[in-house]
Amino acid sequence: MKPYKQVDEKDLNNIAEFIDRDRLLWAKEVNEEYSHDELSAGQYYPDIVARVVSTEEVAKLMRYASQNNIAITPRGAGTGLVGASVAIEHGIMLDTTLMNHFLELDEQNLTLTLEPGVLLMELADYVEKRGYFYPPDPGEKSATIGGNISTNAGGMRAVKFGVTRDYIRGLEIVLADGTVMTVGGKAVKNSSGYDLKDVIIGSEGTLAVITKAILKLLPLPQKTVSLLVPFPTLAQAIGAVPPIIKSKAIPTAIEFMEREVIIDAEEYLGRKFPDNQADAYLLLKFDGNTLEEIASYYDGVAQICLEQGAADILIADTEERAEAIWKARGAFLEAIKSSTTMMDEVDVVVPRSMVNDFVEYIHDLQKEIGVRIKCFGHAGDGNLHAYILKDQLNDEQWQKVLKATMEKMYTKARSLKGNVSGEHGIGYAKKEYLKESMPDKAIAIMQGIKQVFDPLNILNPHKVCQD
Amino acid sequence: MAKLVVHQEKITDAKALAALCPFGAMQEKDGKITITAGCRMCRICVKKGPKGAVEYVEDKKVPAIDKTKWRGIAVYVDHVDGAVHPVTYELLGKAKELAAKIHQPVYALFIGSNIEHAAEELLHYGADKVYVCDKPELEYFKIEAYTSVFEEFINKVKPSAILVGATSVGRQLAPRTAARFNTGLTADCTILDIKENTDLVQIRPAFGGNIMAEILTPNNRPQMATVRYKVMDAPKWIDSVSGQIEKLEIAEEKLKANIEVLGITQKPKEKTIDAADVIVVAGRGVKKRQDLKLIEDLAKSLGGELASTRPLVEAGWVDPKRQIGLSGRTVRPKLIITCGVSGSVQFVAGMNHAETIIAINSDPKAAIFKTANYAITADIYDIIPELIQKIKTGGTIL
Amino acid sequence: MKILVCIKQVPGTNKVEVDEKTGVLKRNGADSKMNPYDLYALETGVRLKEKYGGTVSVITMGPPQAKAVLYEAFSMGADEGALITDRKFGGADVLATSRTLSQGIKRFGDFDIILCGLQTTDGDTAQVGPEVAEQLKIPSVCNVQRIEKVEKDNIIVDMDMPQDIERIKIYFPCLLTVQKDIYQPRLPSYLKQKETSKKDIDVFTFSDMEDQDENKYGLNGSPTHVQRIFPPVSDKVQQHWQGTTEELAVKIYETLKEKKFIA
Repeated sequence: MKPYKQVDEKDLNNIAEFIDRDRLLWAKEVNEEYSHDELSAGQYYPDIVARVVSTEEVAKLMRYASQNNIAITPRGAGTGLVGASVAIEHGIMLDTTLMNHFLELDEQNLTLTLEPGVLLMELADYVEKRGYFYPPDPGEKSATIGGNISTNAGGMRAVKFGVTRDYIRGLEIVLADGTVMTVGGKAVKNSSGYDLKDVIIGSEGTLAVITKAILKLLPLPQKTVSLLVPFPTLAQAIGAVPPIIKSKAIPTAIEFMEREVIIDAEEYLGRKFPDNQADAYLLLKFDGNTLEEIASYYDGVAQICLEQGAADILIADTEERAEAIWKARGAFLEAIKSSTTMMDEVDVVVPRSMVNDFVEYIHDLQKEIGVRIKCFGHAGDGNLHAYILKDQLNDEQWQKVLKATMEKMYTKARSLKGNVSGEHGIGYAKKEYLKESMPDKAIAIMQGIKQVFDPLNILNPHKVCQD
Repeated sequence: MAKLVVHQEKITDAKALAALCPFGAMQEKDGKITITAGCRMCRICVKKGPKGAVEYVEDKKVPAIDKTKWRGIAVYVDHVDGAVHPVTYELLGKAKELAAKIHQPVYALFIGSNIEHAAEELLHYGADKVYVCDKPELEYFKIEAYTSVFEEFINKVKPSAILVGATSVGRQLAPRTAARFNTGLTADCTILDIKENTDLVQIRPAFGGNIMAEILTPNNRPQMATVRYKVMDAPKWIDSVSGQIEKLEIAEEKLKANIEVLGITQKPKEKTIDAADVIVVAGRGVKKRQDLKLIEDLAKSLGGELASTRPLVEAGWVDPKRQIGLSGRTVRPKLIITCGVSGSVQFVAGMNHAETIIAINSDPKAAIFKTANYAITADIYDIIPELIQKIKTGGTIL
Repeated sequence: MKILVCIKQVPGTNKVEVDEKTGVLKRNGADSKMNPYDLYALETGVRLKEKYGGTVSVITMGPPQAKAVLYEAFSMGADEGALITDRKFGGADVLATSRTLSQGIKRFGDFDIILCGLQTTDGDTAQVGPEVAEQLKIPSVCNVQRIEKVEKDNIIVDMDMPQDIERIKIYFPCLLTVQKDIYQPRLPSYLKQKETSKKDIDVFTFSDMEDQDENKYGLNGSPTHVQRIFPPVSDKVQQHWQGTTEELAVKIYETLKEKKFIA
């Protein structure tokens, strides 16, 4: 394969023909933040950053890149954890954050059309003010919707409502050669050939650039109540999840957390958590139209928790109370990060009934390898977030320990019939593990799809399934 | 006892009438209205309901008091060991203005131990008479003793209105004194005026500042109000004084208290950004770690705290506890100055409730300027040293 | 030790508006909740009970539905509750409220420590606590930020003052108002909620009050009168300044001075 062309001053001038110069960052103007994402260790500076504002600009830029063999990396808010939006081949970075407009709220079809740069927090604010609800709820609220669609993010409410994919009706995309195309639409049903929209969702910017999305909305539940359930051990807490699910009660979220991580969050936020009687907690959330209605849902769940050894069930029924818990939950990642020197993550998803096996395995692994691993996650959908901490290890030791730990964890996840990533994606960092976890044939099909969409391989090279 | 009487026959639409009540205190059942204990006697139903449907009945007129027996505007002198809190001067200024309208004197009430020497200063700020109660028993603020002195003062001087600073002391002392005289007290007034009949017009925010209320104390004296620091303007110091200082005596047994002050400790210097009134934020415009000192100096010169954005914390320059934003702390200071901060959404979400936002950034299109009250296009390396210099030579921290 | 906590039911949100034409208060939604500041007082009471023994009682004044906050307090560890309610108490200002509350407290029992939150989110005055203490003729300390210990006939606390912290011994019976964040309030317990959902509460009306002078309660007993309510004038400014370093520094300096951040 011939090497990509580096962007030079001439390219800059050419691109400035169709994108305002002051929305192009060139050479020294490229900020440090564009060289990495939230977690990736390496630094790769793009040659140029284009802060696009329209589909037309994206199309022209893609055409220019494909004609000149320049690598192009799409990027939202840069909050990813696996390096999917890092410009490994330098080249052009396509920053979508200025494409952050709400285009149409269609109240008859309950859809919202928007641009990819809208942030999750802006989206939630926009729809909730109008009495609607967009259920996917990943922890990182300053991520863009475009990024979320590209990883098929899940979030806290997946137990009841499913993941991002379930709320995408249609997409406007720009292909590598600059072709603009709409896949899916406002129609509810679609049985018309291969669903290209679903191929794009979760493709991490390797197949096309998303320039518009049509989201499906729900009516906003009037009330939510969170339950914080203290358990003597984490095993008991997680053990309560399958019977809760079996009872047909449908909480919107079931999270598990350990004392240690809560203490990190208390330290990080400078705020006390509302309870400290137990070593492990389940956090459940219910929604409904009145507090009484919600109470009728969780009565049975409360009984199950007590039978499984819970000390009590604590009720967070006001905004202040819920905030005291969820603010801590939301800060876990940053809190763990600030408790060590460096860290890396594993975002495996296993069947719900296997969560306990996996968590136990992690506990033992810490002793076996001699590294601290902190863990929390979505007990309700089997998606675990485990963070391996560097602490006082030197770089060489760290690389060794990290590799060994990851290998073991992914091997274990595979044996439990789990997947490499629940919601963070594969990007650059998890490619190897994806390969190990899948039949060669499956990887070959993915590579074939990539080849069809992007024959010149200029779009986000070296990601997901590519060598 | 004043009460509301419902005349069911005059009600045209009972549901609509019930909906008028902002406190949900009217219940409609089978087209009939009953008023519950939720009623706050706001009388909106009388004014806005169908004519005559709800009647306000006052069965006994309370006799009007003689307001001419109460004269002058008094100010409680807030101080620590004789060092007068500046809110006192601000109140003296306001009192002077109000007193001038009704041609009455301004009094100051000064309570403490070994404070007599400081009383003179109050005359320079316009007090016509300073009453000083200087006793060893009054060394520390003990509410029972201080309330007794206040009582003595009111009985002796009979001021028409009393203004108290809404400080930690004033917020305890004023209500106890008001309750002792069975009179009205309005907290945290932002505007004060006075009518010819000496009624004090008190305007204050309610419901967290979402509404303003105008309040009168029409048939009780003294009228009492508290005012927060930095709301009113302090008057100029006058060189020549015409007022006098008078000792206020009190019987010793009235100074007994069921409180003992066991000790005083200084507050720890190390403050968190969560509680700070003034915050100066370093953003990515700060190029080198050493340059943080510049931002810190500005914070110090304003008596504030240093904070930062996420990139600086990630670079290890600043303690994570000082990070503002969605993934850090949420702050609500009176003043925030951002220096070289671009204004990412996740940062702004952590500080956009600050009262005054000054943003300095060399990029005139920086996103932070959309949130700022004062957007200043400038290089922080030029302007901050200049500003620190101005503050240092020009004035002191309040 | 007998502890009493005064609590209040407040609107679920502060987002009220005034209808500019009619001057009527518009509330968004009929939700109500326990005054957030009272949660800290209640937590303080329950912690004192847990450490030193005794009982925690709660009292509230309001419409009949305000009893909801008493049951909420039970699920957070309070032992008994009383509701003061009567149409005759409507329209009470700070003085009339503190008088009614203190009359209700006298009827309810004898207490060693009365705890109040710093202020409420609707009235926002922070005055009812000290006025209740005055009505009951007992000592009071406001802004308590830490409880050191309880002794036989007194409690030792830290009072937050502008420049320093005063360590104070206060003899029983006494009233304390506690600061936000003295302790992180606990969440209501499901088990306690089930256990106490049918608990009897005391209800006191005008006829239960020792002082039977109707003119001391409600609107008649209130010396302050609200003349009118109106929306605040927004003072939100947005200015963009450009100029020389010297000019800009002067402008910032003058603004800081005008806003009283520097003298």
